Amino acid sequence: MSAPIETLAAQIDERFGERMMRVPSVCGELTYEIDKHDLVEIATTLRNDGDFGFEMLVDVCGVDYLSYGSDEWTTSSATGTGFSRGVEREPVILDEADEFEPKRFAVVYHLLSVQHNFRLRLRTFTGTNNPPIVNSVVDIWNGANWFEREVFDLFGILFDGHPDLRRILTDYGFIGHPFRKDFPLTGNVEVSYDADKGRVAYKPVSIEPRTLVPRVIRDDNRYSADLKDVSDG
Amino acid sequence: MEERGSRVGLANSAGAADATTVETAEASGESLQEKGFVVTSVDSVMNWARTGSLWPMTFGLACCAVEMMQAGASRYDLDRFGIIFRPSPRQSDCMIVAGTLTNKMAPALRKVYDQMPEPRWVVSMGSCANGGGYYHYSYAVVRGCDRIVPVDVYVPGCPPTAEALIYGLMQLQNKIRRTSTIAR
Repeated sequence: MSAPIETLAAQIDERFGERMMRVPSVCGELTYEIDKHDLVEIATTLRNDGDFGFEMLVDVCGVDYLSYGSDEWTTSSATGTGFSRGVEREPVILDEADEFEPKRFAVVYHLLSVQHNFRLRLRTFTGTNNPPIVNSVVDIWNGANWFEREVFDLFGILFDGHPDLRRILTDYGFIGHPFRKDFPLTGNVEVSYDADKGRVAYKPVSIEPRTLVPRVIRDDNRYSADLKDVSDG
Repeated sequence: MEERGSRVGLANSAGAADATTVETAEASGESLQEKGFVVTSVDSVMNWARTGSLWPMTFGLACCAVEMMQAGASRYDLDRFGIIFRPSPRQSDCMIVAGTLTNKMAPALRKVYDQMPEPRWVVSMGSCANGGGYYHYSYAVVRGCDRIVPVDVYVPGCPPTAEALIYGLMQLQNKIRRTSTIAR
């Protein structure tokens, strides 16, 4: 890990202490977890303080950790049999729940300090509210405007203080937030031309969802420890 | 010779093949030099005019559009078929749907198609336009542009090469030659 990064990490540790928790990361990248109530204050300091100078917001991402770490299919014996691409899912309608798991949704900010050549990643969890909400950073980095609109569109995370929080990518009148893990891949509606109405009309979707996750065999019996010992001699 | 040629020209109205068209053209050339007039069917003339000046609407939606541009550029040169891209649907008689058609774009595509004057033809270019392709299971993509507009020629590929698109357009020309508007 390069020395300038550790210098920055030491400065951050000295300035913010417990309020910025460092996440173990690879490739010499710095990632910190912060509380969502500290977001605006920490972001303002990181931008304006001469030691940091993170004047550029590279990206804002949303994350849905609903099915984090679990597969759509499990395979310990799939090598010989293969597996069906048809997946039966329970219809999960979490939007009607009063609150979410506290660590379900996260918002990730990628920062760049041009003057110091530092990069930094901030991750904040949105808590238990339904709908999830964090403070907007548009007043700190103006470029966050469309990033936050995109996160709102795809994940349904609200940004308090955003000047114009509208959908940006999905269809006009779209219902739902398609990057949520409980949103069906094939969606709920499809379009086709209706000759009677003389216009393009929406209809309920006609195809079944199926898993598109690649078939990666993680536990292959060919690589089991006892066999390997024999073959390697 | 010229008499036989003109009769072939009349027979063309039922259905013209390339060979007979060429023969007719040669025969009519002789007829033109000797007698100063040509006899043919109105259908043949109309189809000759239509196939010789297909003006496609520029409708590039994704990476297929790059191949479409390549087909129109100097190396493959669609101009030599009389195919000239037009920026307005009002001036076009052909639409090349080049790329992924999304739900959000579908009403716009239909509107452009409705604005084109008759007769009009549609070429669906690439897997996405043919049937959704890579995005078949997506929540945002139309599973084939034939759900929105009637399609005459499907060009497979992801994306199809410029040659494939030209081949598709030649198939469209063949299809137009087979139609008879006047003769019954």
